Amino acid sequence: MNKQMQQIKTVMFKEITDNVRDKKSLLSSIFMGAVFMPVLFVFMINFTVNMAKDKQESQLEIAIQGADNAKSFISFVKSKGVKINEFSGDATKAIENKDEEAVIIIPEDFYENFSSGIPAKIEIYYDATAKGTTNVTQRRIKALISEYSNTIGMSRLQLRGISPLLLKAIVVEKHDVSTSQSKGARLLAFLPYALILGLFMGSMYLAIDTMAGEKERNSLEALLLNPIKRSHLLLGKLFATISFGLMTMILTLITFKLAMPFMPLEKMGMSVDLGFKTLSIMTIILAPLAIMAASLQTIIATFSKSFKEAQTYVGLLIIVPMIPSIALMILPVKEKLWMMATPILSQNLIINQIMRGEQVEVVSIIAAIVGSLLIGLILALVAIKLYNRESLLFSD
Amino acid sequence: MIEVKSISKNFGEVQAVKEVTFTAPDSQVTALLGANGAGKTTSLRMIYSLITPESGEILIDGIDPKKEPERARKLLGVLPDTRGLYKRLSARENIEYFGKLHGMTDEKIKSRTDSLVADLRMEDFIDRKTDGFSQGQRVKVAIARALVHDPQNIILDEPTNGLDVMSTRGVRAFLMKEKERGKCILFSSHVMQEVAAVSDEILIVNDGIICASGSESELKQQTGKENLEDAFVHIVTNGEGHE
Repeated sequence: MNKQMQQIKTVMFKEITDNVRDKKSLLSSIFMGAVFMPVLFVFMINFTVNMAKDKQESQLEIAIQGADNAKSFISFVKSKGVKINEFSGDATKAIENKDEEAVIIIPEDFYENFSSGIPAKIEIYYDATAKGTTNVTQRRIKALISEYSNTIGMSRLQLRGISPLLLKAIVVEKHDVSTSQSKGARLLAFLPYALILGLFMGSMYLAIDTMAGEKERNSLEALLLNPIKRSHLLLGKLFATISFGLMTMILTLITFKLAMPFMPLEKMGMSVDLGFKTLSIMTIILAPLAIMAASLQTIIATFSKSFKEAQTYVGLLIIVPMIPSIALMILPVKEKLWMMATPILSQNLIINQIMRGEQVEVVSIIAAIVGSLLIGLILALVAIKLYNRESLLFSD
Repeated sequence: MIEVKSISKNFGEVQAVKEVTFTAPDSQVTALLGANGAGKTTSLRMIYSLITPESGEILIDGIDPKKEPERARKLLGVLPDTRGLYKRLSARENIEYFGKLHGMTDEKIKSRTDSLVADLRMEDFIDRKTDGFSQGQRVKVAIARALVHDPQNIILDEPTNGLDVMSTRGVRAFLMKEKERGKCILFSSHVMQEVAAVSDEILIVNDGIICASGSESELKQQTGKENLEDAFVHIVTNGEGHE
């Protein structure tokens, strides 16, 4: 038994050494999975949040055509600290060319209608599908106009001796029960996806290299002639593949932990707990997934004749962890036990719970671990069975 | 000693090997001589139990590989038809990997590697990564890797295929030395001069059967030909001389 363990260890360490020396392998797994993705996420979140924030606080500039038609409105707007830019020409064009984010046009009959108590019209031109901060600008303009409209409307009622409160049949009182943590969780909804993706990417290259690569290098026949059972040979390779997946996943977690201070969380009134306990729970529930990912990738790579073929198919497999992650980002779900036993889905749910600051039930954690482990082991057995075929060498 | 008793193998409709029987004794070089596709590689693959024969029996030093595959493999050192190396590992690491899989200790691997390096003249490249090795260098590493456990029985599939004169001579000299050490050597080839130069016993394989056997001079005598090539052609064409 001891001798066989030694053999498995030999195969595992050979595959690890071999692949650590391969820059392509390290780049595609560790760098892309564990470093590039988290950094990209952090950068993008920062960029979006800061841009929206800056716009909300920055001085608002409005392009107005026909300002002379509504002098009292203009002085109201100016009193709010808004800068008025005289505009003339084609408003639609100006927005299409992105010269202006929004244009206000005050028609000539504005004053006439306004003074005779008929609703006076102000036109706003904007592009609702435009990206970035344009929407912030146009929202602020609309808010300004409705504030002015309300003020005037109320004073008109008051002049006629009617209480303006009559207009308010209903008052809405908002109670937002979201905590700063749950807001943070919304922002970090992609975290489980990034972690699982890191895990899949980490083991992908090794699965391909140890299976299809061995075949393509023409070293498989010589390897099979050694006095080692094929199942043990495969176990050694599988362990190496799993260890790369685990390593990448843990590195991804560490990268996120290190990236946290660079997230604009406080600015947004959010908080995220990535303490030791949280990280440990995440690691424990994600670890069994490494077995599943590596086995699945190994099975697919066994069927491939060449490195390239394996790369195509195993690459497609990356879509699998995307499905539940993206579905959960869009659809709200009430967690059930069967979901907690479903690999990938369970990890997504539990990590989301942790991020929202909810108490994760021990049952859920156990279900997640057992469910993923069971399916992982079944897939590992399938991989071993496939490796024992005589046709392994002659699949072309 | 390798004993082969009427082994056969089909691949679908094609019967690649039919009832092949022979014995390769110790201290002797036995050659399987045949054209491409004659069934040499399939026969060898059955002997080193990479594929299972449909019928027949094989004994490696009296051990049946069907019953004790790992034990039989320990008694064999095989240079297969495909001889890819791990190119991110050095030649020495390639050899060490197989030594470890054979359960050898580090010191044993070291001393055996050193003697193989000296015998096969690999001093110049033993610690270099094998990426970019010449054909000759690769074959030498592949041979060293296959024989790291110093097996009693050596099987080589077309060992000098694609090698230049100097490398071929090196490999030949090495095999002669191993024979002197009492090893059983079985190799396949389609090159007449090669077979003539090193073999004690030649088995001519054609269409999956052994159609003649004997030493070079015996085969020449049997057919009444001057050289091995003519004798070979005479045998595989049933005396008609040409295909």
